Amino acid sequence: MRRVALRGLLARKTRLALTALAVALGVTLISGTYVFTDTIDASFDRIFSAAYKGADVVITPNDDVALSESSDDLPPIEGAVLDRIERIEGVENVEGSIFDQGGTFLTKKGEPFAAQGPKFVASAFDDERFGGFSYAEGRRPRTPDEVAIDKATARREGFSVGDSFEIQAEAPKQAYTISGLTQVAGVDSYGGAAVAQLTLPEAQRVTGKQGKYDEIDLAVAKGQDADAVSAAIRAALPKNVDVRTGAAEAADRTGEISDDLGFLQTGLLAFAGVSLFVGAFIIFNTFSITVAQRAREFALLRTLGASRPQVLRAVLGEGVVLGVLGSVVGLGLGILVASGLRALFKAFGFELPSTGTVLEPRTVYVSLGVGVVVTLAACLTPALRATRVPPVAALREGVALPASRSSRLAFPLALVLTGLGVAAMSVGLFAGLEESPALLLVGLGAGATFLGVALLSPRLVGPIASVIGRPIEALFGVTGRLARENTVRQPGRTAVTAAALMIGVALVTFATIFAAGGKSTIDAAIDAGLRGQAVLQNQDGFSPFAAGATRRVAELDGVERVAAVRFVQARVEGEGLAVSGVDTEAFPALYRTALPPLGDDSVAVSEDYAEQQGIRVGDTVALTTATAKRLELRVAGIVEDKGRLLDELTVSNDVVARDFGQRKDSLVIVGYSPGKATKAAIDNAIKADFPQVEALTAEEFKDDAAGQVDQLLVLVYALLTLTVIVAMFGIVNTLVLSVTERTRELGMLRAIGTSRRQIRRVIRYEAVITAQIGGVLGILLGLLLALLVTRTIDDFSLAIPYGLLLGLFLAAGAAGILAAVLPARRASRLNVLEALAYE
Amino acid sequence: MIVTATGLTRSYGTGEATVRALAGVDVEFPAGAFTAIMGPSGSGKSTLMHLLAGLDRPTSGSVVLAGTELADLGDKELTTLRRDKVGFIFQSFNLLPVLSAEENILLPLSIAGREADQPWVDRLIDAIGLRDRLGHRPAELSGGQQQRVAVARALASRPAVVFADEPTGNLDSKTSTEVMELLRRCVDEFGQTIVMVTHDPRAAAYADRLVQLEDGRIVRDGAPGAAAGTSRSDAVTHGV
Ligand SMILES: Nc1ncnc2c1ncn2[C@@H]1O[C@H](COP(=O)(O)OP(=O)(O)O)[C@@H](O)[C@H]1O
Ligand SMILES: [Mg+2]
Repeated sequence: MRRVALRGLLARKTRLALTALAVALGVTLISGTYVFTDTIDASFDRIFSAAYKGADVVITPNDDVALSESSDDLPPIEGAVLDRIERIEGVENVEGSIFDQGGTFLTKKGEPFAAQGPKFVASAFDDERFGGFSYAEGRRPRTPDEVAIDKATARREGFSVGDSFEIQAEAPKQAYTISGLTQVAGVDSYGGAAVAQLTLPEAQRVTGKQGKYDEIDLAVAKGQDADAVSAAIRAALPKNVDVRTGAAEAADRTGEISDDLGFLQTGLLAFAGVSLFVGAFIIFNTFSITVAQRAREFALLRTLGASRPQVLRAVLGEGVVLGVLGSVVGLGLGILVASGLRALFKAFGFELPSTGTVLEPRTVYVSLGVGVVVTLAACLTPALRATRVPPVAALREGVALPASRSSRLAFPLALVLTGLGVAAMSVGLFAGLEESPALLLVGLGAGATFLGVALLSPRLVGPIASVIGRPIEALFGVTGRLARENTVRQPGRTAVTAAALMIGVALVTFATIFAAGGKSTIDAAIDAGLRGQAVLQNQDGFSPFAAGATRRVAELDGVERVAAVRFVQARVEGEGLAVSGVDTEAFPALYRTALPPLGDDSVAVSEDYAEQQGIRVGDTVALTTATAKRLELRVAGIVEDKGRLLDELTVSNDVVARDFGQRKDSLVIVGYSPGKATKAAIDNAIKADFPQVEALTAEEFKDDAAGQVDQLLVLVYALLTLTVIVAMFGIVNTLVLSVTERTRELGMLRAIGTSRRQIRRVIRYEAVITAQIGGVLGILLGLLLALLVTRTIDDFSLAIPYGLLLGLFLAAGAAGILAAVLPARRASRLNVLEALAYE
Repeated sequence: MIVTATGLTRSYGTGEATVRALAGVDVEFPAGAFTAIMGPSGSGKSTLMHLLAGLDRPTSGSVVLAGTELADLGDKELTTLRRDKVGFIFQSFNLLPVLSAEENILLPLSIAGREADQPWVDRLIDAIGLRDRLGHRPAELSGGQQQRVAVARALASRPAVVFADEPTGNLDSKTSTEVMELLRRCVDEFGQTIVMVTHDPRAAAYADRLVQLEDGRIVRDGAPGAAAGTSRSDAVTHGV
């Protein structure tokens, strides 16, 4: 029996390859994701291990409050802390350093770096044991006008030792001479970031951290116990710093990166899941068709004495071989794709480090396991059907498989499944659950809905095909007619093929509508809130920037007022919470909201948060800031913010500066009378000294936001393309099988004078109709999904992009055309005489 | 002459394994004649028919169909020629299951993108006697009915010649008779030229002329009456 299984597979290599690919692509994304994230993890592990190898104890600002998982943007440690450490017994050497994110480096042309990776202004260490940097060329900076930059950045931007290098951070722009090029742990790049080392005092000056440190490293004297010294230090220092051993700090940093990547990993694996789900449809369909085609063979085996379990094993055996084959190919492709993913992210401006591909055993287990299980699950039903072929069928011509119980139950099951799916999504969306169970429910609900509609679709294929097929038939006559008839010939087969594409189209539709709605919501919010004529922001769109730029603009002729907004974090009852700081005088004039006057100890609370927490005016909100200060603020008002700029809590910028340690501005609204000042004038005023800051008019600000949405959308499209490709393989596979089945018909058509081109058309239009059935169903489901999900978002302006959806429908047809190329060619090249003699 | 074959040979395979399916055949088919080709299995009947119909190319020799030398034609032109000048009737009917009987009949015209000659189609439908079943799909018709539809399809585009390969091979004797009577009528009433390969002497009896093949050569050519049991000795190679 094993031989029967293998023979079945090898007999049709194209089918084998196409079906294996259906699994392989999903597995590719799984293994690619793991290899990708593991490789990055390993690179950072290596970098951080090297960076903290020489430091026995590391003191950093307390990062409990930081919402962003990165500890690079915390308020610095006071200089007095270093003095206190020096006096502790057992400390051999101690050194404070700067490692500040938020500076801007200029290219040789004087423009900010185009690459979006983080940029750090750092201080060079006196003690070579600390920091982990080595100098691949030149030497460390010794005078305030010298800088050492990482070798990768130097290479990318074309700098070498002796060149001039410009930095702008808190202080206005300044030029330095490159004294050396750095490496960490023998690697040119510091995890994809650009690092510029200055002397400590210069680094402190440039970053506005005079007399302060971002980190303090120390070495313990010989014979002293690091843990004991560490404990003594801990006891002597305030609560707003963390004291860890070098190893623990390295592990902590690596952990932060892993956490950040975890999000990415989950996202990518979700896409892999979708792709495998679609792959399962393809496998199911292929096995259903081939089992039907081989019914006589199974019947013959039964008459020869094969038992049902033996037939089952023969078919499942094919599944195992296919699953293993697909998974192994997927695993291999994934390793290749990992570098492709890096290129993709790099293209979007996130350059990620790598020090050599990492293949964890887990990657292998999961890839192979998931691939095989999905394949087996998908071919179980067809395998069971194969066992039901009665032995007598071997003797009869044209056996039809007996209708199984499952196929009789398909319709009610489909209705129930669809209903359950929509219900699960609704519960997930509207029942106010925790985020992860809610997301899980929505995901499972969407899956069930897809499956339900797929099961329903055999009944929908006929009607949809006749609507879509009409114009094709009218335009192309008999070829169109044959194509349409062929799609409805075995509605189940067409339905599953179309359903596979439907899933991809539904998700693309959802993402498209969601993004379009998101953009118009942002537009509406900006219109509703913004009263200024322009805004200032960092060119990356989110990082805070030096308040000096704001002051410069405020002093400009014709500018009436500026309102700086700062975004920080706090902890309230253990929960992280976003806090915005505003300029209490200028803000109300430049932004439409009824903000109450905010003093040194008052806070405004957003409507939603107030409602959720039952907060009323006059209540007290207790919070902990990033500098570990505890504040008790009186609620001065509840704010309705149509512009969605403000966070849950809003305080004055004075409070932000004093208690949160944030002196940089995140967004600045500028008000001027159009006749007296211009955006160009503002740009001119800041360009030279604050090149990372850009001024945008309200319209440009909207476009900028839309651009960011679009960028994300493109990434989502790219990942969904994989799903669509799998579905296209499904179309190819179904068509190839159908062409085989209809060999005799095709031979007859050719004999009576149908041209090759006409034959190709029949196949092509069949593919187009099938794909467009998937397109229609997918667009409708995507709409449903978008309607449901956007209902949970307040004031979401749902704008259905009809043009785009029409485009999507046509694109589905184009996918069909592409998928038809191979089967159509096969069909048209059939030898007429052999085809006529085909059994 | 509608079809003329001269010095026709066809070999399969090369070297030792060469099989000569046709070993030099000269034959002509005049307009309006109903010719039956008979011979033992493997004698080259199907091969001859395929060559005459432009479905296959000879190893040597020539076929002229309705004034056109087939050797000069490319695949595209051969296809067009088959579409416009040739009708086919197959042993296994070969109707398209997705089309109704009427659509099957009109298929050659649809493929050519031509308007149906309605009075002609009506005559054909009356001739096959299936006017009340025109909307049915092949699966809903009996074998004999299906073959009658196939006959109408073969004649729909008024081809110069109809080739039939064992048209009664899948039918019982009663329906065979129906189909043969229909073919005979097509010759008598419409002047259709028909070339039919058959095993069945009773079918051959409906023809005007019988060509007997053996080992890839014509061993007898004459009226069907004197048919069957012919031997090499009375081989005639030419003429009616
Ligand atoms: N495609 C082919 N390849 C090899 N040999 C063939 C092929 N077609 C026919 N033959 C051989 O040619 C000879 C004539 O075949 P055919 O014309 O089919 O005979 P008939 O129709 O009279 O039974 C036979 O010996 C057959 O085996
Ligand atoms: Mg034959």
